[in-house]
Amino acid sequence: MERLTWRVATVSDLVDETAHARTLVLDVDGWPGHVAGQHADVRLTAEDGYQAQRSYSIASAPEDDTLALTIERIDDGEVSPYLAGEARAGDGFELRGPIGGHFTWRVEQGGPLLLVAGGSGLVPLMAMLRHRAARASTTPAVLLVSSRTAEDILYRDELARLAAGDGLAIHHTLTRGAPDGWDGFEGRVDEAMLRAVAPAPSGEPHIFVCGPTPFVEAVADLLVGLSYEPASIHAERFGPTGG
Amino acid sequence: MAFVSRGFRGRPRRDVDTSRVPPGQYVVDDFPVLSAGPTPHTDTGDWSFRVDGETDEPAAWTWEEFMALPQETFTADIHCVTKWTKLDTTWTGVSVDTLLDGVVTEAEHVVAWCDGDYTTNLPLEDVTGGRAWLVHSFDGEPLAREHGGPARLVVPHLYFWKSAKWVRGLTLTVDDRPGFWEEAGYHNYGDPWREQRYWSD
Amino acid sequence: MTDYALDGNVLAGVLVEALGTELTDAPRGCQSCGAVNPVGAHVVYQGAGQVLRCPACGDVALRIVTLAQCHVLTLAGQWRIETPR
Repeated sequence: MERLTWRVATVSDLVDETAHARTLVLDVDGWPGHVAGQHADVRLTAEDGYQAQRSYSIASAPEDDTLALTIERIDDGEVSPYLAGEARAGDGFELRGPIGGHFTWRVEQGGPLLLVAGGSGLVPLMAMLRHRAARASTTPAVLLVSSRTAEDILYRDELARLAAGDGLAIHHTLTRGAPDGWDGFEGRVDEAMLRAVAPAPSGEPHIFVCGPTPFVEAVADLLVGLSYEPASIHAERFGPTGG
Repeated sequence: MAFVSRGFRGRPRRDVDTSRVPPGQYVVDDFPVLSAGPTPHTDTGDWSFRVDGETDEPAAWTWEEFMALPQETFTADIHCVTKWTKLDTTWTGVSVDTLLDGVVTEAEHVVAWCDGDYTTNLPLEDVTGGRAWLVHSFDGEPLAREHGGPARLVVPHLYFWKSAKWVRGLTLTVDDRPGFWEEAGYHNYGDPWREQRYWSD
Repeated sequence: MTDYALDGNVLAGVLVEALGTELTDAPRGCQSCGAVNPVGAHVVYQGAGQVLRCPACGDVALRIVTLAQCHVLTLAGQWRIETPR
């Protein structure tokens, strides 16, 4: 594996996913390609030389020509207000990657897949689903997404389109209130919800859980309690409050 | 210089009072929580503190005995090796001089040891002479668990990794015994004013 | 575990910087309890430096001190590190 080098990423498009999250579509000179689930380091340098660096999961499929990062804007953050606020098409910053080997999935690994996302933890799992779609894979997959409100759901329309295809079931739960006519789950992910949607342990699913640390740990504990093999549960924690 | 991003300024950076802020540090208003391991949970009913090692008269205190010792409230600036400085932090506790009162020893070093596996080493003279405290309160409130409660060491003149959280004792030692971070590459002494972060600084 | 813990995936970048290779999938055998787990499945705490701990018993697997001029890694247990030639 070649040593990581900083490359310049240029913003070619911006997509507001929700009121708080924006996707940057990037052209990255010499990008070596990635595997779904990996992340990239972003480094911003100010004119006076001050630098700040953060990691962001790659949202795009490896098959895409451009690289996409979905950034949740944190109010008193240092980097996210720039990336998901100030930055516009034509702007650039440094990017290094792809990084990570443990939290990855390739179609060749097979399934079934169980993906459980808390908030912006959906980003790397979306890369996996986009990869699955780009390869026209029919590997059985279940995605369970926990979001605060319906307005906070990332990629909601795209998920609905993907779910219309073969072998993919998408389930949502909202923890801070559901709109009228909501036909998804409500409340935090719990044992009953997982029993209802997840492929049976006997199917030996590949499991990926991503989101804030408390969410990931609660879900991982539930899954172990439901007899899923601990070694089959891949977890990526985003810290106390998430990405 | 690295590629400059148009319009990026970073967090507003204040002017730094160099008489109070050591080289390479920046001032924060919050109180970052840093830990080498999971937060221990020791109730004051189960808590004790010992001074032992190179002495003929080891000493120990229960929580009640500790709280019955002469208490001090003091204000100090604290400096973390990860570069944040917090000014005017107020603590209440017992001076280490009080804990070592009457202890006869040839030792020139101490190891502070804690719930969990954390240790840090200090010269005995750096925890005496009014320079170190065993504290139970921050800003007038009982010390939060995440910040070292029920009790931690505070040694403001050294980088804050020396102010061991969840401390349970001081072992007096003849030899210097590098602790958790000193073994792992941080400076053995850790004076922020000489920017002693790394072992070869 | 606490709200402040992360997992070994967060060290992927610094480990590549320091050792030149992707390590989050590498197995590590614990010196205390013998459990073998991928680095990415270990627990990470941010103290004065970063601490990687065995997910089974909590014992220290790795300490990382990062300074302007270098990374210092102190490893414990059995690590299998593959570097390309």
